[in-house]
Amino acid sequence: MSTTTTKSGLARARQGLAPGGPGGGAPNRKSKLSAQTRRTFFWLLLPSIVLLILINGYPLIYAGVQATHDGSLIETGNFVGVDNFASVVASEAFWKAARFTLLFTIVGVFGSWAVGLGLALLLRTKIPAGGLFKVLLLLPWVVPIVVSSTAWNWLVGTPDSLIPAMFRNLGLGTPLFLADPTLAAITVMVFKVWVSFPFMMMMTSAALASVDGTVYEAASMDGASRWQQFSQITLPLTARSTYISWILMTIFCVNDFPTIYLLTGGGPVDATTSLVVLAYRTVFQDFQTGPGVAIAFLMTITLVVVSVLLYRQIRKSSVE
Amino acid sequence: MTSPLSTTAGFSRRGFLGLAAAAATVPLLAACGGGSSTANSGGTVKFWDMPWAAPAYNDAAKKIVDAYVPTGSNLKASYQTIQWNNFYQTFSSAIASKTGPAVSTGGGFQAFQFEQQGQIAYADKVVEALKSNGMYDDFLPGVLEPFKTDKGYVAIPWQLDMRVMWYRSSLFEKAGVAVPTDWPSLLEAGKALKNIGAVGFAIGAGAGNFLGNHASIMMMVNNGGGVFNKDGELDVMNDRNVEAVEFLLELVSNGIIDPAAVSYTSDNLNAQWKDSKAGYGMFTAGLPGRIGDTTGELLVADPLTGPHGDKASIMFPNNIMMYKNTPSQESSEAFLVDYLGKLKDLWQQKLVTSLPVFKSITELPEFASDPNNVKIVKEWQPISKNFAAQGSTLNAGLAVLDGGQAINQFTQTILTGKTDAKSALQAFKTGLESTIKK
Repeated sequence: MSTTTTKSGLARARQGLAPGGPGGGAPNRKSKLSAQTRRTFFWLLLPSIVLLILINGYPLIYAGVQATHDGSLIETGNFVGVDNFASVVASEAFWKAARFTLLFTIVGVFGSWAVGLGLALLLRTKIPAGGLFKVLLLLPWVVPIVVSSTAWNWLVGTPDSLIPAMFRNLGLGTPLFLADPTLAAITVMVFKVWVSFPFMMMMTSAALASVDGTVYEAASMDGASRWQQFSQITLPLTARSTYISWILMTIFCVNDFPTIYLLTGGGPVDATTSLVVLAYRTVFQDFQTGPGVAIAFLMTITLVVVSVLLYRQIRKSSVE
Repeated sequence: MTSPLSTTAGFSRRGFLGLAAAAATVPLLAACGGGSSTANSGGTVKFWDMPWAAPAYNDAAKKIVDAYVPTGSNLKASYQTIQWNNFYQTFSSAIASKTGPAVSTGGGFQAFQFEQQGQIAYADKVVEALKSNGMYDDFLPGVLEPFKTDKGYVAIPWQLDMRVMWYRSSLFEKAGVAVPTDWPSLLEAGKALKNIGAVGFAIGAGAGNFLGNHASIMMMVNNGGGVFNKDGELDVMNDRNVEAVEFLLELVSNGIIDPAAVSYTSDNLNAQWKDSKAGYGMFTAGLPGRIGDTTGELLVADPLTGPHGDKASIMFPNNIMMYKNTPSQESSEAFLVDYLGKLKDLWQQKLVTSLPVFKSITELPEFASDPNNVKIVKEWQPISKNFAAQGSTLNAGLAVLDGGQAINQFTQTILTGKTDAKSALQAFKTGLESTIKK
């Protein structure tokens, strides 16, 4: 009897239901719109749809034209079919950048999520000056990236910078955080996590705020441990928000140009060159518009696929 | 019950939708209409200028343009500052949409890039006018010729962005070593400077810092090498280049080049000079002014002599170009001739730190009172070659060389020290071959 109660309690908790709640879920009635109303909605939406197509569609189509031609930013040039895509995919630099982008994205998404989740949970507890901490923790996200990258360069850029000097004083040698290819890659990823965790913290805080506190009380009464509460209640109930934040952060990471470019420029020796940095450098430094835009296209396709997969996960978690 | 959308008092749904459609159409039509007009149809010659120095420079240049009084039926001119950030994109977009300038300064090889795309108006008539008013003979030797192509003059130079060796005298005194005059003495001085904690060959190749790239090319040219041969064809793997890269790697392995130089931004490098950490290294003209050093200890060194007796450096002749998209080509030419004649105002006000292209300006007391300037004019300018060395004529491919990924990767590979000369040069050659259009 007691076991059954615990199971049903946790099962109800996973659904975000307080004890004694209705348990039937919200009514999911599909309101039937009349044909006339649907037509009205269509005509009301049409101007926005047309504008969206023009604003997003035109550049996309033009980029497609550039990716299949050998021109410049001024001239379209000759049609070369998929040659630009073929040359890009065949280049070692592309795959090196793709590997770094993948690593940068994985660390950026899950690193910032882990830190953000941890801090969101910490801020949920009653700590003195919690509001002030919340504001201070938002600063990395709020401060312009130009300012924070300059600050980070000041912290790690030269052997005499603050952090290398600290290592030296501790007898740990003088690490060259931006000059050593491996350390530079790690530094850029840590910088990305530092810049991004406030966003994750806010998303998670918002999700946690929507979880009824009595759910935890019920779970606690049912004998659930802290870890069980976290893994069986907190994570499932914030899953929807988590997946959305992962999608957004994946897009932010893959498209992130300033974080990398301002700190390392993609170096040393391409160690921190991501696909977006490679695309920029190909178009604006090597003046090869077609291959550069082709890289951007391949990035877009990858992002769409990843986003769709994660979006399906959201729908799945909603159904559950 | 009636839907609130279906009827409204005095305002029908059909009318509302019509209004919404009209509201959406107006900006679209306005946007479409913009493409048919040209920005230069306003009756002025648009002059775009870059922030070549402190903001006071652009203010002074604007005053020159505003004070320009055209003769005859020529048009007046207007001035606009364009930021360096994404400047090529800014120019390209404007030119493509016919909203670009009629006359501009810009990147060192920008004129050749846009000439390749048929956007540049040749400056032969300007050169003729300069011959008539005597300014042609006032050019320093060899600065105008690189702009002459088979079709005409692509642009007119107005200042020389020099690459020279600087040193801090107090550090050399402290190290007890003479200022280098050749490669062996550079190695010796570098070791002595390192012993006192100073940098013996200060450069940087981090984000946005091109001085490291320039130093690599400079050492090749200093050894009688270069990226191109005399016919203007790629010639990266020549023996002189190999020797120069081997020497740079020796500087790296001896710690004479800062091990973190590979990631040094311009700010990092400037701080090294400012903080009396850099003892010797390559920089542009006007180093003390650029970093705000007033000690008088920063001095221009003698040009280095390479192991085969060669003595050379590099320079970038910055230029003013004219575009085909102009309300009046005659007006563009008249304005450019007038502006070139007034350039001396900028040096008289000490607003420009680079070298002027006119001898008369180098003789101005405001310029000649600085012994560093005099030394650059007398000892460095005559031996300086452009980026096309060992060739001489500039071309669009040099823009790819100067700002491209190949040279940056090449320099960074050297500065990390994890390569040998031939491998680094081979990768550089391969990179250039894939990006420089034949």
